[in-house]
Amino acid sequence: MTAMKKIEENLKKEAKRLLEGGEVSVVLAYGRGYDENHPVPFAARKAEDADSLVFNEYCTFNLARYLPKYPPKTKIAVAVKAADSRAVVQLIQEEKVRREDLVILGIPVTGMKDQKTGEVIDNKTTCNMANPVIHDILLGDEVHGFQGGSPYDVLAELEAMSEDARWDFWKKEFEKCIRCFACRKACPMCYCDPCFMDASRPRWADKSPTTDGHLMYHLTRFYHLAGRCIDCGECSRACPVDIPLYLFHKKLAKECEAMFNQAAGMKIEDKPAMVNYGNQDSDEMLK
Amino acid sequence: MQNPYIPMPVEVTKIVTEVETNDIKTFRLTFVNKEDEENFKYLPGQFAELSILGKGESPIGIASSPTQPGYIEFTVQRAGLLVTGLVTTALHDLDVGARMGVRGPLGNSWPIEFLEGKNVVVVGGGFAFTTLRSLIHYMLHEDNRSRFGDISVVYGARTPGLLCYKEELAAWEKRKDIKMHVTVDKGDANWKGREGFVPTVCKEVGPSPENAVTVICGPPIMIRFTLPVFFELGFAKENILTSLEMRMKCGIGKCGRCNVGHKYVCKDGPVFSFEELDRLPRDF
Amino acid sequence: MLKKIALEKFGHLVSAIMEKGPLYAPVKGGKAVDFQEIRNPADVTLDFYNTAMSPKFVFFPQSEDMIRYSLGKEATEAEPVSLNAKPSVILGVRPCDAKSFEIMDRHFLGAGVIDPYWNDKREKTTVIGYAFDPSTAADPADFYNTLGISASDTAGSDIFMIRTDKQLLFKGITEKGDRLLKDLAVLEQGSKTEEKMFDDMAKKSSELKTRFMEIKDDAIARKFVQVFDNKEFWEKATAACISCGACTFVCPTCYCFDISDETLFRDGVRKRFWDACMFTDFTLEASGHNPRPRIFQRYRQKVCHKYSYHVDKYGCISCVGCGRCTRSCPVNIDIYSIIESASKL
Repeated sequence: MTAMKKIEENLKKEAKRLLEGGEVSVVLAYGRGYDENHPVPFAARKAEDADSLVFNEYCTFNLARYLPKYPPKTKIAVAVKAADSRAVVQLIQEEKVRREDLVILGIPVTGMKDQKTGEVIDNKTTCNMANPVIHDILLGDEVHGFQGGSPYDVLAELEAMSEDARWDFWKKEFEKCIRCFACRKACPMCYCDPCFMDASRPRWADKSPTTDGHLMYHLTRFYHLAGRCIDCGECSRACPVDIPLYLFHKKLAKECEAMFNQAAGMKIEDKPAMVNYGNQDSDEMLK
Repeated sequence: MQNPYIPMPVEVTKIVTEVETNDIKTFRLTFVNKEDEENFKYLPGQFAELSILGKGESPIGIASSPTQPGYIEFTVQRAGLLVTGLVTTALHDLDVGARMGVRGPLGNSWPIEFLEGKNVVVVGGGFAFTTLRSLIHYMLHEDNRSRFGDISVVYGARTPGLLCYKEELAAWEKRKDIKMHVTVDKGDANWKGREGFVPTVCKEVGPSPENAVTVICGPPIMIRFTLPVFFELGFAKENILTSLEMRMKCGIGKCGRCNVGHKYVCKDGPVFSFEELDRLPRDF
Repeated sequence: MLKKIALEKFGHLVSAIMEKGPLYAPVKGGKAVDFQEIRNPADVTLDFYNTAMSPKFVFFPQSEDMIRYSLGKEATEAEPVSLNAKPSVILGVRPCDAKSFEIMDRHFLGAGVIDPYWNDKREKTTVIGYAFDPSTAADPADFYNTLGISASDTAGSDIFMIRTDKQLLFKGITEKGDRLLKDLAVLEQGSKTEEKMFDDMAKKSSELKTRFMEIKDDAIARKFVQVFDNKEFWEKATAACISCGACTFVCPTCYCFDISDETLFRDGVRKRFWDACMFTDFTLEASGHNPRPRIFQRYRQKVCHKYSYHVDKYGCISCVGCGRCTRSCPVNIDIYSIIESASKL
């Protein structure tokens, strides 16, 4: 049996067990969509729902984004791959969900594929880690010896550009934006309600799709994610007009890691970088 | 063909602060272009979009009656609690002589023909009384009064200071062709009138459903408790009318924002009977 | 009227049309093909299944200026933007999208109020439809057959274009279409052979099948009224939805818009731009009250509007089964599955 099929089996087994035993009231995992290559996020609430769960290489969704929607103290089991688990850790750090309310079903896996193109998802668009950073139960065997490459390799071309060339590049990319806000809603860390874009007094940015407005929206969103983005790549996959959002997030993540010596969502004991003061923090931005 | 999205210029000629909290004002507007004034033919119950360029538009019920020619009036509350509304706040900052825009008349009106020959019970709460005031002026006008039966009014606010149109209420009290029952939830030292919630007063007044129609406008909580009173009194659903409010933008049934089921509140409403509302999906 | 042109002369046709006015046609940019105003004839491509975004922006731009103003200390100067669209052509519109123009006409031109912005552009634009290629399979998300649209449907097109292996054949469907065909000297007259070829190819195209279920407008409209209060059904169907708005913006028949005044220092513009009933703040009122705070309520509004309210109001379903919403959804919500489940309840 392939590794993915084994994970699916274990997922169904654990979900059934947890629901039957009343340990959790909902299992957040994946279900079948309109065809094999297009699964959907699925919340199993009854033991028999567990039979509808699936897992395959197209289950790219980051289920952590649904966690803040549940009332506190709801017992939730959530299936997470590596980056997804980092999102869960980050949410715990930010106190949007409590560790004791979660049963984390870790999925160690490589070879996930993009639903739109069928290409393998790698370090170009995600953090490309293979094993979850936290788990209660592992649904598959831990992956050993996986060389994914640095998640910041893809920035080389961008970093080689002059400042003007980079600005032109981003202006051209953001011109395509249709302000559908799929990126904002797909992101597990964009849980603010209301979002700064929804405020009318003061109106931080206009809602209409002008290029200036696009820059205002995206740049502000990225900066709100500094030190918090866990590089799952969901925003880039969600974008209907293929803007390479991952390039911006990765650049910010790289700079934050260098300045504050901390990667987002790795350990639950960490405090979020932008909220925490440490003597050894970089003074770069004051120079 | 007139572009229905472009407002007509108007000038503010009078501003009256209606309530002691200073957040409700009545604005009297006159058209800058005579042609616009002639084309603005409306009936009580309709609304218009008040436009301030740079801020936006706000849909407000027309408080004046077509029997008061030469101007149109709107009673506007500065909306919002923590953060006040963009347009209504800008309106409240205007002085007499300021220019702004109006688009309208929009929506359907109180069904005058349906009301003719019947007794009309007008029930209003707080500042939702505005289009009811328009209706009362219309019905009381010497050209129209004979077409309607008995007119009784139940109007309540939380305190005496929050009653709108105080001078007109006093004038109507003195008339013989209309029965006023003004009430407040809680009176003050100077208040000599009635005390009691609007639904309670309706029950006490106990209007007969015989050949009668009631027109109710008020905050949701008032409507929730007033409706059962009228059902108990024997009023049929098609004889209970109300005016709905929703967030609107275009006001002409194109932008898709204000629908309840297949009806657009801005175009097929805002006036609906409860019988019509029953047939719409229970969206909210 | 039937006209033709050899495939390798397609660039000449594009240039000829561009001489008459703006031309909107499919262009490949990055990963997807989308309609754009053409600057260079070589940009136009006919090799695609369907565009990522719908062509509705040609008549209903994503952002449209209405009034330009300048705020002054004493008075504000304002100027309504005049409506003077140039005669245009949109080429390469798939049958489902051509049909969507007719559906949107019912809304923008109906109910006793004519929207001047839609009308201005619509009157002056000629639509050249484009049959689906019968040698490629339909995308699994598509279901335009269910809405009574075939892969070679001419409804909504002024001219219908079919591609053979060597030629492009153009048939005039409306008077407006015939006028344009007559005007384009670069096109050759089609003979009886070509007329037969057109009919044969049209027939072959229409054999391309999409997902299909039998639905009748009135019956499905009533069904959704019946199912409206079934909270469990809606919550389950929309559990994965993240309320983004991508589906609305790619949809050819979604028309909700917002109107806003946007000012920089003293100068500004009142404009209208696309909005989505899926957004959290769509019905949010100044008082802070939101009639539709939950995702399932907003999704229910979208589906019931398309399959029920629109039928009651305008006499047809407001969906053409193009599959874009399903393809662009970040979590693969499939409206076809929801309609199917609802109709079985």
